Amino acid sequence: MKNIIFKIGMVVFLGIFVIGCSDLNELHNDPNRSTTTKPQLILTTLEVAAFSNNVSENSTFTNRYMVYTESSSPYQYYNWQTGSFDYYDDIKQSLKMEDEATRTNDTIYNCLSKFFKSYFIIEMTQNFGDLPYLQIGKVDEGITKPVYDTQKSIYLKVLNDLKSASDGLVTSSGNISSSNDIIYGGDKTKWRKLIDSYYLRVLMDLSKKTTDNDLQIIQRFNDIVSSPSKYPLMTSNDDNGVIQYSIQAGNHYPGYYNNDLESECYMEKTFVDRLKALEDPRLFQMASRTPNAVSNGLAKTDFNAYEGILGSAPLGDVAVAASSGNASAINSRYYLNVAAEPGVLMNYSELEFILAEARERGWISSGTAESYYENGIRASMAFYNITDDATVNNYISQSNVSLTAGDPIEQIMIQKHISMFFNTGWQIFFDQRRTGYPVYDVSGSGIGNNGKIPKRWMYPSSEYTYNSNNINAALSSQFGGKDDINEVMWVLN
Amino acid sequence: MEILLINLQNSMLKRKRVLWILSMILYSSFSFAQGIAIHGKVTDNEGSALPGANIVVKGEKKTGTATGIDGKFNISATIGDILTVSYMGYETKNVTVDGQNMVVTLSETSNSTKEVVVTALGIKKDKNTLGYATQSVDGSTMAKAKEDNALSQLTGKVAGLNIHNSTTLFADPSIELRGRSDVLIVLDGIPTDGDLWKINADNIEKVDVLKGSVAAALFGSKGLRGAIMITTKKGEKGKAHVSFNNSTMWQPSFLRVPKVQTEYGNGDNGKYAYVDGSGSGTEGGGWVWGPKLDQTDSSTSSGYMETTQFNSPVDASTGKLTPLPWVSRGKNNIKNFFRTGLLQSDNVSVDWGGEGGSYRISLSNIYQYGIVPNTDLKNTSFMVGGTMNPLKGMDISASLTYNKQYTKNFPELTYGPTNYFYNLILWTGADVDVRDLRNYWQSGKEGLQQRNYNTSWYNNPYFIAYEYLRSYDKNNTFGNASVSYQFLPGLTGKFITGINNWSLFRDYKVPYSFMGYSSKSLGDYSMENTNYFDINTTASLVYEKMFSPDFKLKAEGGYINYYSNKRYSTSSTDGLTVPGFYSLSNSTNAVTTSSTLTKWGSNSVYGYLDFDIYKACHLSITGRNDKISILPTKNNSYFYPSATGSVILSDLVKLPEWFSYAKLRGGYMQGRTGMGPNGVYSFITAYSSGTKWGNATSVSYSNASIGSDIKNQLEKSWEIGTELKFLGNRIGIEATYYSTLISDALMNVTLSETTGYTSAIENYQGETGIKGWEVNLNCIPVRTENFKWNTLLNMSHYRNYQVKLAPGEEYGIDLAKKGERTDVIYAQDVQKNADGQTVVGTNGMPLWNPYNTKRGYSDPNLIYGLTNNISYKNWDLSFSFDGSLGGLIGSTTIQKMLWGGTSPQSVNKYRDDACAGLSTYVVPNSVTLAGGSATFNPTTGEIASDSRTYTANNTEINYIAYMKTYNSGMDAWHYFKRDFIKLRELMLTYKLDNKMLKKSPFTGVSVSLVGRNLWLASKIKDIDPETDDSNLQSPSMRSYGFNINIQF
Repeated sequence: MKNIIFKIGMVVFLGIFVIGCSDLNELHNDPNRSTTTKPQLILTTLEVAAFSNNVSENSTFTNRYMVYTESSSPYQYYNWQTGSFDYYDDIKQSLKMEDEATRTNDTIYNCLSKFFKSYFIIEMTQNFGDLPYLQIGKVDEGITKPVYDTQKSIYLKVLNDLKSASDGLVTSSGNISSSNDIIYGGDKTKWRKLIDSYYLRVLMDLSKKTTDNDLQIIQRFNDIVSSPSKYPLMTSNDDNGVIQYSIQAGNHYPGYYNNDLESECYMEKTFVDRLKALEDPRLFQMASRTPNAVSNGLAKTDFNAYEGILGSAPLGDVAVAASSGNASAINSRYYLNVAAEPGVLMNYSELEFILAEARERGWISSGTAESYYENGIRASMAFYNITDDATVNNYISQSNVSLTAGDPIEQIMIQKHISMFFNTGWQIFFDQRRTGYPVYDVSGSGIGNNGKIPKRWMYPSSEYTYNSNNINAALSSQFGGKDDINEVMWVLN
Repeated sequence: MEILLINLQNSMLKRKRVLWILSMILYSSFSFAQGIAIHGKVTDNEGSALPGANIVVKGEKKTGTATGIDGKFNISATIGDILTVSYMGYETKNVTVDGQNMVVTLSETSNSTKEVVVTALGIKKDKNTLGYATQSVDGSTMAKAKEDNALSQLTGKVAGLNIHNSTTLFADPSIELRGRSDVLIVLDGIPTDGDLWKINADNIEKVDVLKGSVAAALFGSKGLRGAIMITTKKGEKGKAHVSFNNSTMWQPSFLRVPKVQTEYGNGDNGKYAYVDGSGSGTEGGGWVWGPKLDQTDSSTSSGYMETTQFNSPVDASTGKLTPLPWVSRGKNNIKNFFRTGLLQSDNVSVDWGGEGGSYRISLSNIYQYGIVPNTDLKNTSFMVGGTMNPLKGMDISASLTYNKQYTKNFPELTYGPTNYFYNLILWTGADVDVRDLRNYWQSGKEGLQQRNYNTSWYNNPYFIAYEYLRSYDKNNTFGNASVSYQFLPGLTGKFITGINNWSLFRDYKVPYSFMGYSSKSLGDYSMENTNYFDINTTASLVYEKMFSPDFKLKAEGGYINYYSNKRYSTSSTDGLTVPGFYSLSNSTNAVTTSSTLTKWGSNSVYGYLDFDIYKACHLSITGRNDKISILPTKNNSYFYPSATGSVILSDLVKLPEWFSYAKLRGGYMQGRTGMGPNGVYSFITAYSSGTKWGNATSVSYSNASIGSDIKNQLEKSWEIGTELKFLGNRIGIEATYYSTLISDALMNVTLSETTGYTSAIENYQGETGIKGWEVNLNCIPVRTENFKWNTLLNMSHYRNYQVKLAPGEEYGIDLAKKGERTDVIYAQDVQKNADGQTVVGTNGMPLWNPYNTKRGYSDPNLIYGLTNNISYKNWDLSFSFDGSLGGLIGSTTIQKMLWGGTSPQSVNKYRDDACAGLSTYVVPNSVTLAGGSATFNPTTGEIASDSRTYTANNTEINYIAYMKTYNSGMDAWHYFKRDFIKLRELMLTYKLDNKMLKKSPFTGVSVSLVGRNLWLASKIKDIDPETDDSNLQSPSMRSYGFNINIQF
């Protein structure tokens, strides 16, 4: 009897145990991640990606602002090789923002998406040439090997998208989230100013394509400049397309406590010499006095306290110069101040230099090149907190600063180059490549690539493994099948 | 009856005693027998008593008894009755009662000694019947020469099991079985959560390694990479028995430690003058390419060259730093920083048992005193376990362990400024004496600013040790309970449930002024809490029947439920208002928090059929069906079958006398798993939260796309093997060949980035495989009454390779072509011409190959271990070697030493010249590119076409600039042959014999001298090649000590 009770008891006990733990459906969903979201949460991600990626050490080596002593930098010696496709992920994020905007009927975000997609693809096509664009984010539809679009078709699409983004911000109802828009706090007009100004940058990138009838560059440029009420442009540094850094974790200025900046990077000689020749007060904001100047008690505002190292010299010479104590490092604010300066996608000063160049090239007839040029310099001075009118006026009135002191395009590009020190990413490289100004020094014996400045980056190696047919087709149609850093892409032809 | 016996016995060593105890219980109630009292003794062929043999009067099922510990028995029977005498592993014998004193001799069933192996799901089987490879390690061999981690003690002991031990305190060893990691670790039949530190070697009765998926088929997905089955000690019946074990080992000397040059100090290009610790300007960027030390200079008062240094006094009159002599004070920095480590392990256990039950209580403590100052680890376990037999045919057993792992600080070493080694080996020139850094706060800035020769890149190693604190406090509770009950003859119900439960609290303290990469701490503090629970429950019915002496069937069918749940939360701040007060309420900014919850489960049914035919042929068929929560619902159920068999040839065929035993075995299985590459929720594509900018939260979409029809991965495995024994079992060989094909692999398949995704999580359309072999050779070269020498050699080999490419693809995993190995190492290299000479540019610097090229393979060709045990009278000597041949190891340690200037290789005349500002180095064996060009295969980096022409290279370059440029990343020349042999263990034990102990309260006393990690030979210098990858681990230490074991 006892036995039977025990047996029954055991069976019941086992049964309860087994049934009690068997509901699998309850476990199926991921409690940590959401499968849908609000578009504005992706907007913040996109803004960080686009605005906070433009403080580039490597760009300063290529563009002869600084030199590197840690190792032979391919960016300094012009022998870099493959580039990066990182912005493709950001373009996909932008497409997901469109999906979520459509799902939640917040179509205003589709306008911003057009801007971000355009920005990311232009940054990349400027590096490589042809790239897949129309087939991004279609893995679900079975497109795992996107075809390459020509650089021209990319530009054409971007121009149309940017225009429609600006128009859409007027016609779309709904608002941009003021809390998630960390750039303009949901101010649609400021977004239009940035997008229209950026549209002019893209047109200026195409300055060698003025005769292309599909693009109609000059016409498009005039459409914007001639209708300021319809297409507002940036009018002051308040409109700058910048991201503000802060002490909050993850929101720091990218150079903050960057060890390289503190002890491996020094100012480049040709840049320092130019600023010294122009008696440019921005030098004091950009560079530190040499250690020898400090121990000799030279003042911060003494141009003699600053020296650069020739970037094209062999690394050994560069490093010896650095450890001799006779070279200026970057100003310590860049690595000691958590919010040293904002991250720049596009500044007002750049717009003024673009307008100056367009006026010089005869694309537009309104205004004078001189006033655009001066506005650009003033805005740049203000960006460096040089607000004393007398100082700025003195600077502008110098004969070697004047627009007519040399080739006006060269003068504009020299000022644009100064204004883009350690900000705005690789834009100054694209401008220098397009115009040839300012002339970058390649005289030293450390230089690689037979003394040539590369025109582009090679496509990433993975593309040959995972998308080989399409990349090979793109290479044959552009460069006779050759993936080389000295090949000349469509936009430069 | 036999089932019960099999289930209860734990090992060969304990078998006789256990069987006796069981028999005593089972037959103690049969005291009403009638007839005359028969006295007898059961022995084996050699006359040794067989305790626990069963004696039954034939036809009278209820009349039976068992022999005592001395093999003797008493039974009531009448003359002429037939007694059936049986004993596991021996032929059953029927004898007729012919008097009151009987001696029954039993012979072994085969020439083999039976060995019981704990197989998948904890099912115990006779090794003879197994169709797959297993290897066992007796717990007693693990009790004395202790490692910090019980699993590490298996190194070299099992063919096919490859354990890379880390040299760093409390760092997990990596465990690979047949070349695959994530090996299932099973404790008393219950899969564990993978914590290698919660199992104390003192509690291990035995370890059985099920070497592959065929062996572990019944574990389902979890067993696809084999299983390590750990059986813990259970109580023994008899009088209370106390065992005490102490093992104490010191780590006084380095086995391997990087050797650094001590001829040049900090600085760059032969220059150094300390200014403020920023590294800038004359401080030389934190390099160790500074001036030569100990240079005489007659113009200074010290007679040596002098320059300002971090400990220079300030001249009161000028306010400037006073130059100090530039001499090699820090020649012994490494030795001076580390201290003698200690590993002390204590265990007390008590066994007790009586009728109807037995118990064991064990208390263990392991204390480790780290070689890095202010590091230690405490690991304490309390375990209770026992068995009960409340009813006839019923067996209940349970065990419960509480384990606590605790430290206030231990080293977590990765490359970077948080690592002692990073600061000490790579970036401290011999001009600095580390002992001068012991006082690590700057005077007047205590709590705010560390004191070091450089405060922009590096951390004072003492500052790390005493202020950068990483705690660990884990509480493990785990155990199991099982009930088995024989309802009917031949039919047994089993129920077993086991849990793993733990909670872990960690906090991380980062002091003010601590340097990370691109960060300087304002007092970071974070705390983490993790809670984990899993439960495994199995209920089954076992049926066993012997249809005839030549045909026996055993079948089992059951249900398994698994559920696990892990909750994690973390809170942190990146700034403390009051320095050094580590509390989140002291946070300057808002505290950041996050949490995750991970749950999954499975429901399974399984079954198997075991056939024994002619006692020599064994066939086992298993099947298991899993339904899991971690795949899309429509694809979440799958089945895996296996079939294994063995034939004992020596039982079927008459072999020559010297050929003692021959067994052939083989098995096949189809395994499946639904676990994706990113864990439990791999199959769900979703948004993750990103940076919080100001008050704005952000999300981003996964960069892996998810295939629309994800299903399980399929693995087909087979293995064949043989077990042979010769000369009366004095020589034994086991050999196995295996092969696994993996198709539909659930993995991250790389995509073109231009899709917007970097990869797709899907079923890979190509096929990969693993094939390999294992051999172990056991030999007893000498065996006399007083002297025995036993030796065991383990060898294994495996290969991962691409079986089939995915349709339309040119390359498989890691760029392998069809049939090629998938363990290829691709690395950046400089360009070479057809003659293998380095191609340099006109500036004299080598040109980089634009794409990575094949450097070699990472997997070894042979992994081996050799163990010897020699015993002479009361003395035991054991020693073991192990190592591997073939395969490459990349060393970040060596690379960074070459880069930073501390490598002894960098001491040469070119360096002196560079220090003097001269460029005199010509890249060896190089040519200058004069014209033409080469194109490369962008995938493999091989030259596709080449029209290059060259001139002789005699361009002299700066040696220091060359070293800094060409050692700045892990390049092709930083990979080295891993070949090594190590003296893993040496142990000499003296056992006091019984005569000596007679008058003492003790029943056994032994004392051992133990050494571990004593000697190493390898081609690669500076690092211990055993470590998984060389990235600035702690030095490899020799351990010496003793072990005392007392039983009473």
